[in-house]
Amino acid sequence: MTSKSGLANVIGIAALALFLVGSFVGLFVVSADGMQGDIQRLMYVHVPAAWLAFLSFFVVFLMSVLYLIQRDLRWDRVAQGSAEIGVIFTVLTLALGSMWGKPTWGVWWTWDPRLTTTAIMLAIYVGYLAIRSFADDPDKRARWAAIVGIIGFANVPIVYLSVIWWRTLHQPPSSPRSVSPEILWTLMFNLAAFTVIYVYLMMRRVRLAKLEGELEQRVAYHG
Amino acid sequence: MDRGTTLALVGPNGAGKTTLLKCLATLLQPSDGGGTVCGYDLRKEGDAIRARVGLVTVRGYVYDDLTAEENLRFSARMSGLKLGPDEYRAALARVGLERVAEQRVRTFSTGMRKRVVLAQLRIRPLELALLDEPYAGLDTQGMALVDEFVREFRDEGTTVIIASHQAGEATGAAEQTLILKDGQLSPMDHDEAARSHLSYQSLGASEG
Amino acid sequence: MELLRRAWTIVWKDLLIEARTKQAFNAMVFFAALVLFIFSFALGPDTELLQQVSGGLLWVGIAFTGTLSLNRTYQSEETSGGIEGLRVYPGDPRAIFLGKLFGNIIILLAVEMVLFPAAAVLFQIQLLPHALELAGVAILGTIGFSIVGTFYAALTVNLRAREVMLPLLLFPALIPMLLGAVNATTLIVVGDPMLDSGIWIRLLVTFDVIFFVISLWIFPIALEE
Repeated sequence: MTSKSGLANVIGIAALALFLVGSFVGLFVVSADGMQGDIQRLMYVHVPAAWLAFLSFFVVFLMSVLYLIQRDLRWDRVAQGSAEIGVIFTVLTLALGSMWGKPTWGVWWTWDPRLTTTAIMLAIYVGYLAIRSFADDPDKRARWAAIVGIIGFANVPIVYLSVIWWRTLHQPPSSPRSVSPEILWTLMFNLAAFTVIYVYLMMRRVRLAKLEGELEQRVAYHG
Repeated sequence: MDRGTTLALVGPNGAGKTTLLKCLATLLQPSDGGGTVCGYDLRKEGDAIRARVGLVTVRGYVYDDLTAEENLRFSARMSGLKLGPDEYRAALARVGLERVAEQRVRTFSTGMRKRVVLAQLRIRPLELALLDEPYAGLDTQGMALVDEFVREFRDEGTTVIIASHQAGEATGAAEQTLILKDGQLSPMDHDEAARSHLSYQSLGASEG
Repeated sequence: MELLRRAWTIVWKDLLIEARTKQAFNAMVFFAALVLFIFSFALGPDTELLQQVSGGLLWVGIAFTGTLSLNRTYQSEETSGGIEGLRVYPGDPRAIFLGKLFGNIIILLAVEMVLFPAAAVLFQIQLLPHALELAGVAILGTIGFSIVGTFYAALTVNLRAREVMLPLLLFPALIPMLLGAVNATTLIVVGDPMLDSGIWIRLLVTFDVIFFVISLWIFPIALEE
């Protein structure tokens, strides 16, 4: 157990280091985007956060399927951890997207397909965590959550496509502008940094969930 | 248990008799372990079990806003039976309800309601009949009806389990008695059970 | 097929009870009409505005009304011993899902038959020239709503805060269906020069098929005790 804890610490330190380097480069070293100015630097956090939000949700989906097949509570714990971390990153994505939108487009919110889908995904996440709070029995809780997790995730691509149709029928789609290599590299670096952060948080959270589960079992047996 | 026997399951309130019967009917999953009912695995072949098992609960699965006959029809169809109106009438006559066949169950007394439940039970071919407090709410005629059914089941080779907190009433119809107390099942001497008044004894703390 | 026969038995039972007690249908119609009235009242007398948003208002009204009746789907079993009373029978438990689903679709469509004319009056839209297309959209949308709703209702029926949990789970999942239904309805009513409504109808059909398959598949797990 100590070696696992040790590994988590190493990863944590690595995550912190990568994050600091990535942020420093993104904020001070790389030149700002010509048209948008410094506000564009938000992208270095916004895009990785969005990536992680979706990755987390995918992990929830995967774990939900695994749980329903194998009925092993380990998968449920990972799903729970991923959902909680995912919520944080989703809120971060939305907040940063909003902050970026104000100076760029003049509005706090826009019905951009990706942002809209992210907002809906947040609602689905919240529903996932909410339904967990209603079951005391770990097996029931895992089962309900798994069902909600699977259907919720299956919904995301459908929502995305429908919102795209909805927006493009009203206005032409925004085409991605080409970015300079140094911006691209900084972005990739930050993406990697955030992924390591995710791994670290997951290791800690899942371990905590395991302890919580054991405590729950002991309380159930001894009353 | 041997097939074809009639068993009385007694125990104080809250001992878990209803829970046990519901497990056998595959309505509840045991949290630990498993078993077989009528030769079929409890966890994996629940469907085959449900096709052979009938359950009578205290209140019965009966819809107040349907007539007695409609309730019977629902039950039969859900069990996969296709019967004609004459057969429904006959089944209701068997339990003494032929005159109120077209009345909504909402207007029935507890005893009449129980008779609808018994009719629902009797209409299906069964290998195992699970009766939870079958005498509750019935008058002497009704209770005699239950005993009659139990005798018919025995003649047909159907296994019967009668759960009751009143040891005396169940053991009369049964061949064996088991007592469920504190989560443990143990055999009980048949005559002793027939004579005892379990519901008045304090049997200590029991796990639900 | 045995599955369909048992599903139909459940539909028969539920509709018979509903016809006798008339609990749900009356309440739903009143509530839906009230919601539409409040909408049109809040938006004011601008006819053109009302016509533009009529599709959205109509479907929001249908969604709210439908959610009301969804809780009732399984709750109506409560007085007769709960959903155990259906699970105790042999056969594929999916028959329960199908039976409840068809029942919900039928009742919601019946309510819509009152609602659409009410919307025509309140929002000053013409329905008759496009009655067939509108009926198609209404049916597809109602099916989609009922599939997701019947499924989530089964999941939340035993929860303490089910009145909150059901909409919380339901509405994010319904977004594609709402987009499809609202846009198709609005285009049909207001005018569709570029025949865009086809896309939305295709979205509805895709949504219905995908969620029907998923719900049917997972339902037995949702029903486990």
